[in-house]
Amino acid sequence: MISLHLTRWLLGYARFSVVGGSNERFLNNCARAGIYLWDIAAGKEGGACVAVKNYRALRPCARKANAKLKVRERHGFPFATKGIRRRRGILAGAVLFMVIVHLLSLHVWSIEVKGNTSIPTEQIEAELVRLGVTPGALKSSVQPQLLQQKLMLKFPQIGWLSVNTRGCSAEVHLEEKVDRPLIVGDKHETICNIKAARTGQILSMDVYTGTAQVSKGDAVVEGQLLISCVVEDNLGYSTLRHAAGKIIAETSRTLSTEVDLKRSEVKPTGKTLTRRCLFLFGARVPLTFAGKPQGNYRTEGAHTDLKLMNSVLPLGFYEEKWTEERTENITLTKEQALAEARKQMEQKKKEELKDAKIISASEDAKFTDSRLIYTIKAKCEENIAQESEILIK
Amino acid sequence: MEKKINIRKLTSTMQMPTHMEINGNQEVIVDGCSGVLEYDTEAVRIKTGKLIVRFTGRGLVIKCLTADSLVVTGFLTGIEFLV
Repeated sequence: MISLHLTRWLLGYARFSVVGGSNERFLNNCARAGIYLWDIAAGKEGGACVAVKNYRALRPCARKANAKLKVRERHGFPFATKGIRRRRGILAGAVLFMVIVHLLSLHVWSIEVKGNTSIPTEQIEAELVRLGVTPGALKSSVQPQLLQQKLMLKFPQIGWLSVNTRGCSAEVHLEEKVDRPLIVGDKHETICNIKAARTGQILSMDVYTGTAQVSKGDAVVEGQLLISCVVEDNLGYSTLRHAAGKIIAETSRTLSTEVDLKRSEVKPTGKTLTRRCLFLFGARVPLTFAGKPQGNYRTEGAHTDLKLMNSVLPLGFYEEKWTEERTENITLTKEQALAEARKQMEQKKKEELKDAKIISASEDAKFTDSRLIYTIKAKCEENIAQESEILIK
Repeated sequence: MEKKINIRKLTSTMQMPTHMEINGNQEVIVDGCSGVLEYDTEAVRIKTGKLIVRFTGRGLVIKCLTADSLVVTGFLTGIEFLV
């Protein structure tokens, strides 16, 4: 029904009245003449709608029925554009518009990468640019199969990849590979001893597999064999196993950190400059006419792509913020240096003594001309069992 | 002398029987109609071969009309077949 109305509107139609004569005879004449009428109104001044091209053919039919026709309304595209048809500028503009739309539709204006989790989008986009897929590239120059092969060779972590052109957008859909899970059985099939990771005194021992070579209360040095992989059974046969156990020992650990008393710090002066530009169909249109400032500036930039219905438009906005900075030389006081050293030491403890329990600790701070050397000596309880694999051919 | 053939008579005998499709009491589609004899908002009389069919009702409108078919819409209350 909509298509019928649209066709009638595009071709143009007129609503007319039949004045005088016989309405029925006029309708029969029209039907015999093959003129299609619709919305035929009854009554003395009945009328109907007719396509514009058939209106002239109605006159003989009306004459035969002794009736006259009077146009009441005109509708449709030919009448809507009657005023502007003679204005050649508008016509030329419309043609130019169509040509521009057609030419623009031959290019790729946006590139979308979907499905990547560990591979940064920027890296994939950079590779696409290297392969010639940039905003503004011809769609005919995009070869999906070749791109798929080259991208998969460049990024081995990609398991599956597809390049599709949808409208003026190039979409890269990919799936990353899932690493094979570690098979636990493999680890236990290897033969290894347990050796001491640090020097200390053993506090407790839990031997799961293997033969213990030391006992509780023994002092051990780093690298000493603690649990042997050789296991002898009741019949006197020896087998080699993957030794396992937990050896808790009291160890002594020394951690040291250094803090420079004199240092240079970069501080913002408060002077900033913002530069903006518009990305339109791959072209950069500056919106700020200020040039790059001279001096020591830090730059931060943010690119925003406009989206419509989840599709990236070839329209983007880039904002660059330039912040002036100056370098200042500062000297830390002893308290400030000590506080910073303690802060650094806390971080170091979290990294190096994360599995150890600190029983007692003593700190030592030495100031030289330009730096502070901060040391702590800690007594810890920790698991010193360390697997040492034996390679048997 | 050459015999004159009446084409209208010939085609009327070859004509297919009239086909009418009535959708509820709102619409009638008539195929094989040969002319409108009366047209009013309360009655539409049409010629279909040897029969004359009269539709009565309220607000009757001929929606479209071609050489051999028409569509009547409105609130139909009766159909009469007149020989």
